[in-house]
Amino acid sequence: MNALNRNWHSYHISFAVLFVVVLQLFAWLPNSSGEPLKSSLSTDEKLRLGERMYREGVLPSGEPMQAFVKGDLPVPGTAFTCVSCHLRSGLGSFEGGVYTPATNGVKLYKPLELTYIRFDRPAYTDETLAEAIRGGVDPRGRVFDHVMPRYLLDDEDMAIMIFYLKSLSSEFSPGVSETNLRLATVMTDEVSQKDRDAMFVSLLGIIGSRNQYAKLISRQSVFGKGQLVLMSDDMMNSFGQFISLSPWLLKGPPETWRSQLDEYYRKEPVFALIGGITKGEWKPIHQFSEDNHIPCLFPSTDFPVISRSDWYTLYLSKGYYQEGEAAAHYLNNRGELLKGRPIVQIVRDSREGQALRAGFQETWRDLGQGAPVTLTLKPGEELTKGVVQQLLTKEKPGAVVLWDGPAALLELETLAAVKNRPEMVFVSASYLDKGLWTLKEQVRDFTYITYPFRLPPSPKETINPSDPLLYLKAVTTKEANQMYVISQIFNMAIMDMKRNYYRDNFFDVIGMIADMEVPLYEHISFGPGQRYVSKGCYIVQLSRGEKPELIKKSDWVIR
Amino acid sequence: MRYKFLSLVPILVFFTVMIIGGPAAATGKTYDRTIENYSVPDVVLVNQDGVKVRLKELMQTNKPVIIDFIFGTCTTICPILSTSFINLQNKLGPDSQKIHLVSITIDPEHDSPRVMKEYLKRYRAKPGWDFLTGSRADIDKVMSAFDAYVPNKMSHLPLTLIHSPEDGKWIRIFGLMGSSEFLSECRKVGI
Repeated sequence: MNALNRNWHSYHISFAVLFVVVLQLFAWLPNSSGEPLKSSLSTDEKLRLGERMYREGVLPSGEPMQAFVKGDLPVPGTAFTCVSCHLRSGLGSFEGGVYTPATNGVKLYKPLELTYIRFDRPAYTDETLAEAIRGGVDPRGRVFDHVMPRYLLDDEDMAIMIFYLKSLSSEFSPGVSETNLRLATVMTDEVSQKDRDAMFVSLLGIIGSRNQYAKLISRQSVFGKGQLVLMSDDMMNSFGQFISLSPWLLKGPPETWRSQLDEYYRKEPVFALIGGITKGEWKPIHQFSEDNHIPCLFPSTDFPVISRSDWYTLYLSKGYYQEGEAAAHYLNNRGELLKGRPIVQIVRDSREGQALRAGFQETWRDLGQGAPVTLTLKPGEELTKGVVQQLLTKEKPGAVVLWDGPAALLELETLAAVKNRPEMVFVSASYLDKGLWTLKEQVRDFTYITYPFRLPPSPKETINPSDPLLYLKAVTTKEANQMYVISQIFNMAIMDMKRNYYRDNFFDVIGMIADMEVPLYEHISFGPGQRYVSKGCYIVQLSRGEKPELIKKSDWVIR
Repeated sequence: MRYKFLSLVPILVFFTVMIIGGPAAATGKTYDRTIENYSVPDVVLVNQDGVKVRLKELMQTNKPVIIDFIFGTCTTICPILSTSFINLQNKLGPDSQKIHLVSITIDPEHDSPRVMKEYLKRYRAKPGWDFLTGSRADIDKVMSAFDAYVPNKMSHLPLTLIHSPEDGKWIRIFGLMGSSEFLSECRKVGI
């Protein structure tokens, strides 16, 4: 298609967008019959039923909501929910060239005036809102864009829906005052003082820079007049409250963490948790966030909760679990080598070993493969040649996965010396840690390594001095690179919230962030409900020689 | 810069339409239609059941093949495209087996076979509608081959591509169709 045609296509889509921007902006809601709600329903029950309609497209009766789009396309509400476009906070979205306006009561029941497109609409009433939801017509009689479904709701269900919309993002979330947005970072006491300080000071740096910037913007002292005009809607409105950060230090065993968190929160409600660090599992803190609906952005943990439905913690990756997943996907693609033979899994009984095992085993099962034969090594237990020989002779595996730490270095040498050794043995780069670079020459040909980071630059690679990520790629630590991601995403999110300080909006706007390249990971990506931003992991081998390099054996994401 | 750009989007859209308009605006249609020739790249993708699918082989059929580009967590365009697919299947009834619907993800990192299978289930897809993922490089190749490449999923295009088995040409629909319009386009390739 030539450029001219492309432009014409763009105009078409722009036309559709115009309808969305102009028509939906004005409209979306109106009116109901004014029927009173069933008196038997409590406020909580009405909110629960309304939330279910909004998020799941399910009527109070349990039946799916019925709707039409594009005039004549009948759609089940379960596939076309309000939340899919207007998002959890109800504040709308901008995606695929389509702008979806806010649908929370606070915005709807106020007049709207958009001077830059000469558009205005009066405040909705219950009646005009119900009319809009059912008929797709705004209070001025303007018809909505066809992408907005027309929902078939009876008066009673409509009243519940409107009741819910009025409650949606109606008051700022806890931790927000006229002047202050309060955050906390959770650290546990088994982490060294030095590492805790590094985490806290780095976060203070991020927040301090943002506060300073906001202060300067508010004084209008850093930009020229022309720039301020262009920034008036987006940037200027995005700098609001002063942000403060509190350290929440958890002491003692994990089973006591929850009561400590509850106490911190009782004394000092916060809007969100940011960063945070523990050597152990993040689960108790994850559950605290989940129960209290407190967003937690990028805790530093190798042991996140693996869930496809939990909402309130956004992780950098799945940690060790993700490496196990990658090994399973890679092996699944090498069926020609396995020839139907089983997989033997040797697992150190440690937190790391069990997370790797879970990632591998669950993914292997999902791929329709049979359960691997698993040998568990107790802490300190040595893997002898006799045991290995016996296992391999009996099982005749197609591959071995070896989920052990630095002890795997010796175990690989043991494997190198036995008969019937399979062609592929998998180990984890994170668990081997620095031992990765000391693999003996005789094991390198059959050792495959899960490597969940961007590959280090090759010494032969031409360095581009203008690469803005060069410094971070070359000289900084994993922790510093994690902090870089936190800084980027946090600042974008705070700005994109445009002072709409609702917790759900915090993650809604992050879900709209475009994919990014960062120094630590090959790629990070976002989306509504996506809760692990780095989703890849290479399979690599170590080259021969005294100064080995990593040889890429797979894509970043293995399918 | 990103924010300055976003702040200008509504203004640009407004002036683009008001000043230039376009054939779609003039006719009241919300999509544009062209006939194209595409060369299908030789890539192996993975469907919702985890089965490898060579795209070129998938095209070797006497059925019309209809392709769109979507992703599982899309908030706006994809639900409409997918609704069009399921409504087409419903309208065609038993004849729905005479076409092959193929959705290709543009978010291969997130859209695993499991995610795709759940997506199809949510839309109550019938057999004959497959959802494909693959490596980022292969997905980029496919998007480019169909003049559908976008560097980022958040700016993807509302495209439906209908392959005629008779002459090998493609009807390229840019925009969103109603169910009658979609059915009418399908009739043109022998449904």
